[in-house]
Amino acid sequence: MDEHMIITRLKPIEEILTMVGKFPASTICVVGCSICARKIQTGGETQVTSLAAQLSSHGLDMLDGKMVKHACSAKSWDELIEENPALAQADTLLVLSCGAGVSLLGRISGKPVLPGLNTTSIGGALANDTLEGVCVMCGECDVAIYAGLCPKSGCPKSQINGPCGGSSDGDCEVEGRKCIWVTIYEILECRGMLELLDDIKPPVCHDRRL
Amino acid sequence: MGFADALDSGKFIVTAEVSPPRGTDLLDILSEAGQLQGLVDAVNVTDNQRAMMRMSPLVLCHKLAETGFDTIMHMTCRDRNRLALQSDLLAAHALGIHNILAMSGDYPTMGDQPSSKPVFDLDSVQLLQLIEKMNSGFDFQDGPLDSPTSLCAGTVANPGARPLALQLLKLNKKVSAKARFIQTQAVFDAAVFNEFADAIKSIGIPIIAGIIPLRSARGARFMNDKIPGVNIPEDDIKRMETAADPVSEGLEIAAETIANIRPTCRGIHIMPIGGHGNTRRLLEICGLD
Repeated sequence: MDEHMIITRLKPIEEILTMVGKFPASTICVVGCSICARKIQTGGETQVTSLAAQLSSHGLDMLDGKMVKHACSAKSWDELIEENPALAQADTLLVLSCGAGVSLLGRISGKPVLPGLNTTSIGGALANDTLEGVCVMCGECDVAIYAGLCPKSGCPKSQINGPCGGSSDGDCEVEGRKCIWVTIYEILECRGMLELLDDIKPPVCHDRRL
Repeated sequence: MGFADALDSGKFIVTAEVSPPRGTDLLDILSEAGQLQGLVDAVNVTDNQRAMMRMSPLVLCHKLAETGFDTIMHMTCRDRNRLALQSDLLAAHALGIHNILAMSGDYPTMGDQPSSKPVFDLDSVQLLQLIEKMNSGFDFQDGPLDSPTSLCAGTVANPGARPLALQLLKLNKKVSAKARFIQTQAVFDAAVFNEFADAIKSIGIPIIAGIIPLRSARGARFMNDKIPGVNIPEDDIKRMETAADPVSEGLEIAAETIANIRPTCRGIHIMPIGGHGNTRRLLEICGLD
């Protein structure tokens, strides 16, 4: 099982049509990614084939869709073409991967790349469940304090010193969410380690990510 | 006597809340606040309350200060990063604002600008620490200020929120961060409030209890459903339903709540729905005018 997961969502077809419309008389290849996007079914074979067919039905010049092993990790464009010669024939790549994959393919291909997905968070996969938004990539991980759960990502307000006033009976003020602080508290209470929460935690240093 | 002096004096404190306009004209709100002249120790001014866009509270606080009110400016962490928070704290001091109520702020999706970037660069504890630091003459990065602020900082708490232990975790940090008072979410159930006041008695921080006089049974049910931590007792809702004059009944219920919590709080904060037309009357019933 993959240990990481970039969470993506398919863009509305109208938005994709507007993007490809800016490249008239272009031969387009839809490219899927065999890692995260395939796993959460936003950029697997099924989605690649279906999008290519949809665009073809709108009269666009489509090549057969292709899958790459990892859109975000490649030795070279030449190596990718060796595996997927059709990529060389495309004028434009419509990429069903996370933002990192789209950027990487854009850099190494020298071709216009269009994102078919929106990247929303970093998450994980637990059996058939997708865990969304479990890390905000703050550059100073301290989940050990919080029972292994990250309040910077698990709380919409990224509260690191305790819950905000909107938390009530375990519910978050943002509809449909549970307050992560209640879970953190319960686990630490069970472990007899509530004192981990006692100190005032300083604000995140955003310059550490530069 | 200013609000901070009143806190130190042990006097029973009365504050009242107003909100800046959704436009550029301050005349109506200044006239509304004028009704509070002589009745309150300070006027609170909200900061994009419930994430609904309004004029900056800096301006209204300044205008109220010019007419002789001491003001408590609400400051949320939702809309400003640490640079902007510091700028506004310096501005507040320069504009004659002496008190700040530090809070997280409601999430943007609860208001009328739901697509806003939620900032939350600092939390309310860290904002209180920042105010303390600026009061001692330094900025967030320990750089010296040309002249320090002198702001009395308070914060908020919700007596009805559960689990209480989690509320207390945050509250203890706020007190360590030198909060000088706490203002609570609206109190409808005196027993719940008194239990909370008892739980934090050892901390020794003055509690100013939020009061919203009910205006209708329907409004009461709405608040029960929509506002986290608000729990209006069914008996009170029934009283509102059967009352010939619901507004007067709401004032009576509020006065009874105030009488029941008076031994355990240091003051009350009145935040009526639809203006301060009855605030004087409420304070008269309570003997606080």
